[in-house]
Parts: sequence; structure tokens; C-alpha cells
Amino acid sequence: MEPIIRIENVHKYFGQVHALRGVSLMVNKGEVVVVIGPSGSGKSTLLRCINRLEEYDEGEIIVDGIPLDTAANINAVRTEVGMVFQQFNLFSHMTVLDNINLAQRVIRKRSPQECDRVAMELLEKVGIPEKAKFYPIQLSGGQQQRVAIARALAMNPKIMLFDEPTSALDPEMIKEVLDVMMDLARDGMTMVVVSHEMGFARAAAHRVILMADGEIVEQGPPDQMFEHPQHERTKQFLSHIL
Amino acid sequence: MENKSRVLGGLPEKALANIPGAKAEERIDAWWGLVIAVAAITLALIIFAPDPFRRIVEFVIDGIAITIVVTVVSFLLVLVVGLLGGLGRISRSRVLRGVTTAYVEVIRGIPLLVQLLFWYYALPQVIQGFGAAIGSQALATYRADPIAMAILGLTVGYGAYMTEIVRAGIQSVPKGQAEAARSLGLTYFQSMRYVVLPQAFRTILPAIGNEFVTLLKDSSLVSVVAVPDLTRRGREFMSMTFIPLETWFMVALLYLIMTLFAARIVAWLERKTKIER
Repeated sequence: MEPIIRIENVHKYFGQVHALRGVSLMVNKGEVVVVIGPSGSGKSTLLRCINRLEEYDEGEIIVDGIPLDTAANINAVRTEVGMVFQQFNLFSHMTVLDNINLAQRVIRKRSPQECDRVAMELLEKVGIPEKAKFYPIQLSGGQQQRVAIARALAMNPKIMLFDEPTSALDPEMIKEVLDVMMDLARDGMTMVVVSHEMGFARAAAHRVILMADGEIVEQGPPDQMFEHPQHERTKQFLSHIL
Repeated sequence: MENKSRVLGGLPEKALANIPGAKAEERIDAWWGLVIAVAAITLALIIFAPDPFRRIVEFVIDGIAITIVVTVVSFLLVLVVGLLGGLGRISRSRVLRGVTTAYVEVIRGIPLLVQLLFWYYALPQVIQGFGAAIGSQALATYRADPIAMAILGLTVGYGAYMTEIVRAGIQSVPKGQAEAARSLGLTYFQSMRYVVLPQAFRTILPAIGNEFVTLLKDSSLVSVVAVPDLTRRGREFMSMTFIPLETWFMVALLYLIMTLFAARIVAWLERKTKIER
């Protein structure tokens, strides 16, 4: 099967810091990949390279057959790849509904009625249809993050990227976000998730990847990674978080 | 627990009602009283002391119109220059950044009065010289239109400050906002248009309004480059009648009515755009 994301030998420097050291990774359609690793290991940087929010200095990334080279291609990829951020990043001057509708209207050119229909369907799906007319500041963090997921889904993406989606949440709100992600995984969405939620990784991930110092150290199915890690670095990291 | 205050962003709905801005309505109305009071004093002077106050107003009234036209037209152009300049200042292109930065630094370093004198007296000379050099009769006999040159001068001068205001406004919008927009597939200009600029505009609205009021006052400088604005008409009246106290008192009142009124409009706009946040 042709992988939907091909990352080949990608290098990234932040000034003197070699943030990604030749990372290669293939993600198949429908696969859920969870990336773990200590902070500064390059996992968020790698994720942000997939939709080119971060430029890389060397190597190649091809998403759904489109190489990330020209501006037009990058934009084409972005319309097919949804992203969810640690800090939610909802548009603070727009209602929940407008947040979800903006890209559908501007890029997908859907009619207002069609936009509203899609938005309400998605709000239903993430469990907060009653918040459609609220502004982000009026919502809890968990609700904001669920809106952010709905906003990304409104573009009917083929791939969803999650950059530490629960790290800014209070513990009691983590579950409501993870439940939505779990549903997505169950529906067959291709997902790359940077997260330390081991429960989610165990339940939903097909593959867990450990990154350290800008490299992929070890990868495998969650059972194997958590129960029988091979590398010293993996054991060390897991002993800190489990 | 749904409405518990959040680490990032969320305020409980009830607390929203206690935000000062949400209750500002009554206080704003009180300041309208000042506008009305100043207008009433002016009107009383015109009615109960028509000589000289009514004569003054009748003489300078066309100057008021010119002051308003010059201010409003310049201001609209300043907004355009400020937007383009602000985008240039944060551009990834080194050339655009350099050009706009140089513009801001140079213009801010020269007194506005000197700039106005330059555009009115010096620029036509440059154009005439250029016209003569290329043999164009129209350019060689070019004569500056005072109002056009005044608008040009105010636009260029105030555009530099507006550029900095717009730049600061754009930079005040958290980076994640633009990233979220770009990650949805919006282009740079779409993300500016729909996400970044609307938020930046809300932040800088007080500063923009302040610029308008200041521009209204500084428009009096154009009286030295042959524009028959309120100030110049006042000076003409004074040199005809030799009653400086009454003349400048009335001119000051007329400016005050306009600036106070403009400030109220700005406050109203601010309130209107802020409450929904």
C-alpha cells in the first residue's frame, strides 16, 4: 500500500540547533501514529513540517502524492490536512460557528446553508451543538479544543495532525477531548498525534514512535513499545512518564 | 465544572458581565454631555452676541468645510498607507522591510510643518525642472494645488505613524491565530484579511482614533501652505477686524466641538467592537 505521508531524510535547523536529524517516516492511510518523546526531541517540529508550518532544510515530504515544494502545493496539502494545536488557537473574534465556517466558505466555496449544516453536524459529533453562537472566550478549554477539532474536520481532511492536544487542559477536561479523538480513530481517520496520553496510545494507536534528539529512536505497536521496549532511551523515557 | 476559569483564554460566562467594558454604556453618555455643553456655549455666543461671534462663524464656515474635507480624505489615505506600510514592515522580503522602515524613520524625523512646506513649495519646482528637462510643457508649467499638496503632505506624514500602529497591531495578534488559519489552507492574504487584521484592528482602534483627532488638529498646519482652512480663515478675519480674542476663542471652540465629537465616535466604535469578545 502506498503511504499517504512520506517523510524522507528530513533535516531541520533552528540556528545552530539541529532539531531534526534525518527523520524518515511513512504513514499509511487509516493509520493512527502516536509520537512520544522528551521535550525538545523534535516531535512537534516534525508534525509541523508535515503541513509545512515549519520549513525544513533538507529532505522531502510527500503528502497524498503532493510534494511540499511550491506555495500552491503547500496550500493544496493544507486543505487536506487538519491540524489541532496545544493552545487551541480558535479565532477569538469569531463565534464557534464562524470559526468552523471560515475555511469551508473561503476555500471550499460552500454556500452559507451548506456551511451551517456541516458545522452543526460536527458540533453534534463533538458534543457541544448548543455552543454554536458562543465566542471562544466563553468556552472551557476542553470545549475550545473540541471546537478546534470540528473546525479542522469541516474541511473534510484526509489526515489529522494533533500537536499535544490535551497538554493545556485541566485533567477533568482531557477525557472529553480524547473521546472525540478516539471516535475519529475508530472511523478510520489517518492521524499523527504528538501526545503523552498513554491511555489513548494504547487504545487507539497502531504505532507508537519514540523521538529523542531529533531522531526516531524506536517504533512499534503500543503493546511492544510499552511492555518490551528495546532501546535504553525508550526504557528511560517510559520510566519517567509511566 | 464546564465554566471553570481556564489556564488559557476562558472566562466563566458570569464573569463576563463584570468586565468594565460591558458596563461602559452609561459612562460614555456622560462624556457626550461635554460635547453638547461646548456646542451649547458656542450656539449661545452666536445667538446672544451675534456681533462679533456670528460674523466670525459666517466668515470661517467654508474653512470648516475645508478642514473636514482635508482631514477625512487624508485620514482615509493614511489608513491605506498604514495598512500597506504595516504589512511591509513585517514582510519576509528584506527589500520591502527596508523600504518601509526607511520611510517610517525618515518621515518621523522631520517636522510635519517642514514636510508640508516641502510638498507645496519644493516639489512643484522639482516637477517643473523635470518637465523642462524632458520637454513637457504641461509639467514645466506645473502649478501646485494647495489642497492636493496638503492632503499629500498629511498622508505621507501621518502614514508613517499609522504604519507603526498597524505593525504593532498585527504583532499583537498571537502567532497561533495565523498558524491556525494557514493550517486550514488559507493563503497569507486570506489569513490576514479574515483572521489577523480584524483582531489587530480591534486592538489598535483607540490608537487609530487618536490619530484621527490629532490629524484633525494638525490639519491647521496646512493654513501656511495656502489652504483656506478654518485656521487660515480665522487669521484672515482677524487681520480684517483686529479682534484676536473673540476670533481665536471662537476658532478654538469650533475645533473643540469637532475633536470632542470625533472622540465620542471613536469611543462608540470601540465599545461596539469590544463587547462581543
